Amino acid sequence: MSRLLRICSGVMACCCLVLFAVTARAQAPQNPALAGGQAASPIPATNPFTSEADIQQGSALFQTNCSYCHGSFGEGGRGADLTAGVYKRGGRDPELYVTIRNGIPGTEMSPMRITDDEVWKVVGFVKRLGSQGNLEKATGDAGAGRAVYQRSGCATCHQVGDEGGHLGPELTEVGRRRGLKFLTESVVKPEAEVPINYRAVQVVLKSGQTVTGIRVNRDDLSIQLRDTRDNFRSILMDGVQEVRYDKPSMMPAYASMNQKDLNDLIAYLNSLKGAQ
Amino acid sequence: VRARRIRAWGSLALLIVAATWRLTGQSQTQGLPVTYERLLAADKEPGNWLMYNSTYAGWRFSRLNQITTQNVKNLGVKWLFQGRHIEKFETTPLVVDGIMYLTRPENAIYALDALTGRQLWMYEYHNPERTFNCCGRVNRGLAILGNTLFMNTLDMHVIAIDAKSGREVWKTEMYDHTQAGGYAAPGAPLIVKDKLIVGMAGGERGVSGFLDAYDPKTGKLLWRFHTIPQPGEPNFGTWAGDSWKTGGASTWNAGAYDPDTNTLFWGTSNPWPGYNDDARAGDNLYSCSVLALNPDTGTLKWWYQFTPHDLHDWDATQNPVLIDTEFLGQTRKVLAWPQRNGFFYLIDRTTGKFMAAKAFVKQTWNNGFDYENNGRPEVIPGNDPTPEGNRNVWPGVDGGANWMAHSYSPLTKLMYVFAREERRVYTKNEIRHPTTENAPTGPTLAGAPPQIFNLARPPQFAPEESWGKAIAIDPATQNIKWEFRVVTAPWGGMMSTAGNLVFGGTLEGVIFALNATNGERLWTFASNGPVYGTAMSYLAGGKQFVSIPAGDLLITFGLD
Repeated sequence: MSRLLRICSGVMACCCLVLFAVTARAQAPQNPALAGGQAASPIPATNPFTSEADIQQGSALFQTNCSYCHGSFGEGGRGADLTAGVYKRGGRDPELYVTIRNGIPGTEMSPMRITDDEVWKVVGFVKRLGSQGNLEKATGDAGAGRAVYQRSGCATCHQVGDEGGHLGPELTEVGRRRGLKFLTESVVKPEAEVPINYRAVQVVLKSGQTVTGIRVNRDDLSIQLRDTRDNFRSILMDGVQEVRYDKPSMMPAYASMNQKDLNDLIAYLNSLKGAQ
Repeated sequence: VRARRIRAWGSLALLIVAATWRLTGQSQTQGLPVTYERLLAADKEPGNWLMYNSTYAGWRFSRLNQITTQNVKNLGVKWLFQGRHIEKFETTPLVVDGIMYLTRPENAIYALDALTGRQLWMYEYHNPERTFNCCGRVNRGLAILGNTLFMNTLDMHVIAIDAKSGREVWKTEMYDHTQAGGYAAPGAPLIVKDKLIVGMAGGERGVSGFLDAYDPKTGKLLWRFHTIPQPGEPNFGTWAGDSWKTGGASTWNAGAYDPDTNTLFWGTSNPWPGYNDDARAGDNLYSCSVLALNPDTGTLKWWYQFTPHDLHDWDATQNPVLIDTEFLGQTRKVLAWPQRNGFFYLIDRTTGKFMAAKAFVKQTWNNGFDYENNGRPEVIPGNDPTPEGNRNVWPGVDGGANWMAHSYSPLTKLMYVFAREERRVYTKNEIRHPTTENAPTGPTLAGAPPQIFNLARPPQFAPEESWGKAIAIDPATQNIKWEFRVVTAPWGGMMSTAGNLVFGGTLEGVIFALNATNGERLWTFASNGPVYGTAMSYLAGGKQFVSIPAGDLLITFGLD
């Protein structure tokens, strides 16, 4: 990783933290007792738990709490690849601590319900994972993969940088967030793991018509979705016969893609690391 | 002279009338004090809501019938109380003759004009920075006796407040809240005769549970019942080794009282550690049980343990509901109990004898009940937590029912339960010695956004894989008579009314009224704030209102 990248990552992380702090302040209650109750304890600048025993305990906690998404070796999956030592929300000890302690709002990364000391031990283990360099190396040609991406119409639904649609998850940083195995599976068998905000829904109306789209929100009175033309639709449940989820992903499966194209496409996706 | 005397008496009478004329404009109100006799007959004051669960029988049934199945479609918002807080709003207000008293998180009390929502006074209690509550810095409500309101606090105090002024009368520390993994008291207290009964929480933190009785006049402790037998007491041997010292079994929700038998009923929480039983072999009495106590002395009459040796956090902290029902050709005095473990129980409330139980949600753990052994459940193997996480257990950790209130309508003779159909991952964790040093502080440390707006479920479950359902159970048969399904497993309770309605609210904030006879949905309101409480109803200005918390609002509905 270049020094510039590290600086940029650090600045980005700081910006995130500042933004986060501002948001938290804006949400601060008018009840002084509550405000006092929510006050943050000071977070040490360096990890106080870095002995080998601590890191081994962190490893055990990681397997229990983190490996489901980040992989047993931190290789990533539905969660970010942790082997490269690059963290969107900052890689300093207190930054990792905050990310693990609180989770990442608006994402599938939930807060850890373990003790503060144990969070530090997980931080120690995560940093060790990050020091090993990327475990996985893509074997394809990223440049050729970009052509496969364009030829296959991926941009119709996915955004990279400023270009592309919104029906599928944005891929600008997907190479940072997803491991190779997960990326491959997402292309070949997309219904295997669909992000919660991109689940396809089929709304069968009482008129007999079926509206298909991405589930955006739902309560007992209405359902909101993004239809195949990328328009928001809100449908009152009074007019709905049935809500079905039998095809969980809108994405077609590219199971018949030849191996070279697939490898190249995965290499291209893996190269998408966001602003660097 | 006589004429002057008549005028004088007349003036005096007018003064008395004026003095008793309440904010409601009703001439027949009693106002304060709320005597114990009034609490006993709370059912006879349908315009008021005098205790957390409405009556000692815990019915949460309003005898008001202005709002009916015919006109409920015209129900509209009359006023809002703006809580301006970030915590879950779990309170049930009290109403005494036109004045509403409610708690707002964390431990503030408001007195409002129940007709308009305008504030009359406010009391605010300041908790320490760190409190040790499992599930938010919440409070569920108040008790009232005489002219005094009573509230528990998160830092384990009981506080008496003058209901006319909001001034603190006395304050008693129940227990050092920093002991073990931390104690808290989020529930509503209960007045029984001349005693204030108060429970506590901490079953997730290795506490040692108890139930207290205080003198409402002075705050002096009158008795304490340890929910875990102490050395030398019966059933002490149901805990292996020293596990009794940190066994949990808290008393965090409200109880009920049967004046006919002079029995106080109170449910207890899970044993600790919740998902790891390596060090606590045995039944772990009296965790996950209903206790029947003599309220005068705090002595135990009997108990029934719903889930011996619990490993799923299936607390027995549901509000007890006391009804008389037909059962096998006889009228029986029963405790009707929709349990967190997914079964609806009938217990003879005079003897503690198990009568029947039937599942009201999907369940994977139980193969029946041993009638020879007072209804001990026959447990199916394979449902215990595992280190890698057991993903196949129903109900989930939040239970088929939880603390949310149920309701019983004497008109339909049905019990209304807002049930949860949900599975969760049960993971066997390491045991850690409980301490408030480095204790799990939950996700709100370091400025994380409040949980109230973070409703993400565990990611491995698809939308609508779990769901909720308002159900009507016939206690006589334990069968579900009707079901009204909602998108998400709920955290709100049920209230039924003499207008033949059942009110509730969903986690997405849809507040609804159902036909109590058949479950037909008759009215909805999209509040878009999660409902973590239960509706209540009262009279103000001669008109019926329905109040329910949603988000940080208390929304009060009425007819034109």
